[in-house]
Amino acid sequence: MKKGTIIGIVIAAVVLILGITLVGGYNDLVEKSENVENKYSDISVQLERRADLIPNLISTVKGYMKHEEKVIESVTSARENLVNAKSLTDKAKANEELTVSLNNLIALVENYPDLKSNTNFINLSDELAGTENRIAASRKDYNNTVSEYNKAIKSFPKNILAGMFNFEKKEYFEAKESASEVPNVSFDED
Amino acid sequence: MYRLTRINLLILLLFSCLFIPNVNALVSPTSEFYVNDYANVLSSETEKYIIEKSKELYKVDGTQIVVVTVRNLENSSIEDFSLNLAREFGIGSKDKNNGLLILLALEERESRIEVGTGLEGILPDGKTGRFQDQYMIPYFKTNDFDTGIKNGYDALFNEIVKLNNLNLATANLRKKNQRDYTISLNMMLIIGFVGFVIGQVARFAKSIKDKLTASYLIIGLIILLVLYNSNKIYFFLFAIHMIGFLIGRFVTLKMMPYSVSGSGGGYSGGYSSSSHSSHSSHSSGGGGGFSGGGSSRKF
Repeated sequence: MKKGTIIGIVIAAVVLILGITLVGGYNDLVEKSENVENKYSDISVQLERRADLIPNLISTVKGYMKHEEKVIESVTSARENLVNAKSLTDKAKANEELTVSLNNLIALVENYPDLKSNTNFINLSDELAGTENRIAASRKDYNNTVSEYNKAIKSFPKNILAGMFNFEKKEYFEAKESASEVPNVSFDED
Repeated sequence: MYRLTRINLLILLLFSCLFIPNVNALVSPTSEFYVNDYANVLSSETEKYIIEKSKELYKVDGTQIVVVTVRNLENSSIEDFSLNLAREFGIGSKDKNNGLLILLALEERESRIEVGTGLEGILPDGKTGRFQDQYMIPYFKTNDFDTGIKNGYDALFNEIVKLNNLNLATANLRKKNQRDYTISLNMMLIIGFVGFVIGQVARFAKSIKDKLTASYLIIGLIILLVLYNSNKIYFFLFAIHMIGFLIGRFVTLKMMPYSVSGSGGGYSGGYSSSSHSSHSSHSSGGGGGFSGGGSSRKF
C-alpha cells in the first residue's frame, strides 16, 4: 500500500474519532439535561398529588376537629402556596411549609381517637405519607441528576461544548431543613 | 502455535480483568432471591411456599414479590432502606417495573410494603397500609412474624392476581423471558476474541493484508459511529471487537516471561447493561423502578 493511502486512512480515522467524541459529548449533555427535566417533572407530579390530597383530608378532619380551625387554616393556606408556587425554590419552600403545618395537624389527631381510627382518615394519611416519601425519593433522584449534569458541563472537554450550546447550570431542589438528607449537594458551590 | 495459544490466553485474561462486577448492595439477595430471611424469623415451609408462588407469578407476567426480613435498618429510615433495597435488587421486570417488596425490621419493629411504579395503580399506598393493618400487624404484635408475613403475602398475591386478571394456569405456557440485553462476560470474550483472530489473519495473510486491515478499520469506525448514536450496548460490544482486532493486527506480544496457565481469576460475574441487575442474582427481573410508593407501619 502506498504511503499516501496510509496517511489518508489515518487522517480519516482521526477525523472520525474526533467526530465521535464531539457528537457523543453533545449527546451526553443533552441526555443528562433531559434526565434532569424528567426528574423535575416527577417531583412536580408528586407535589401536585400531595396538593390534591389535602382537600379530602381537610373535609374528613373537619367533622371531628371542631376547635382546631387555626391549624386547619394553616394547612389550607400552605396548600394554596404550593399550588401557586412557580419556581423551583418556591415549590421547595412551599412544600416544606406544608409539611410543617401537616405535622402540626397530625400531632393533634392524637386527641381525637374517633378520627384516628376512621378508615377514611387512615387511608388518606397513608396516601399522604406515601406521597411525601415519593417526593423525598424523587427529590433525591432529581438532585443526583442535577449534580451529574452540573459536573458534566464543568468538566473538560464538555465545558467547551456546554459553552457553545448554552448548557447552563441547574438548580437543586432543596428545602433547608432537610438538606442533610441529600448528599452530593454542598460541593457544588466552588 | 504454542506461543499463539499463550498470547490468546493473555488476551482473554486482559478482557476479563476489564470488567470486574460492582457489588455495593446493602444486603445482596440470597440465591433464593424471593425470600431473604436475614432476621431468621420465617419457617422453612413459609419460605418454600413463598418462593414457589413468587416463581409462578413471575412466569405469568413478570411480577415479582420479594420478602426481606432484617435484624435492623443500620440507622436509616425504613423508607430509605426499603427503596434502596428494592432498587438494588432490581425487583420486577424491566419494562413493567412490577416489583413488590415486603420488608420487616425486627429491632425497630417496623414493616413496610414497597410498591414498584408498575403496581401503584392496583396497590395504592392506602391499600397497602390497610393490608398491613388487617393481615400482618396483628400477628407481628404477638411476635408471630411467620404467620404475619405469610398472611400478608397471600393477601397481596391474591390482590395482584385478581386485579391484573392473571391466569396462573398459563404460568408454564409462557415463553421463556423476553430477550434481555444482559451481556455476559463470555459473550464479550468471544466477540473480542473473534476480532483478535481476524486481526491475526490480517496480520499474517500476505496478499490481502493491507486491504483487509484498511477496509476493516474504516468500515469498523463507521459502524461504531452509527452504533454510538443508536445502541450503546451494541456499540460497546463492537468496540470490544475492534479492540480485539487492533490487538490482533498491530500489537506484538513478544514478552511473555511468565506462564498464564492456572491463573484464571476474575471470572466471577458478568457485566450487565442494566445498572440495577449488575450483581449475580439469577432471578432478578431487571426491574427496580421504585419511586418510593407504599406504606410503613410500626407495631
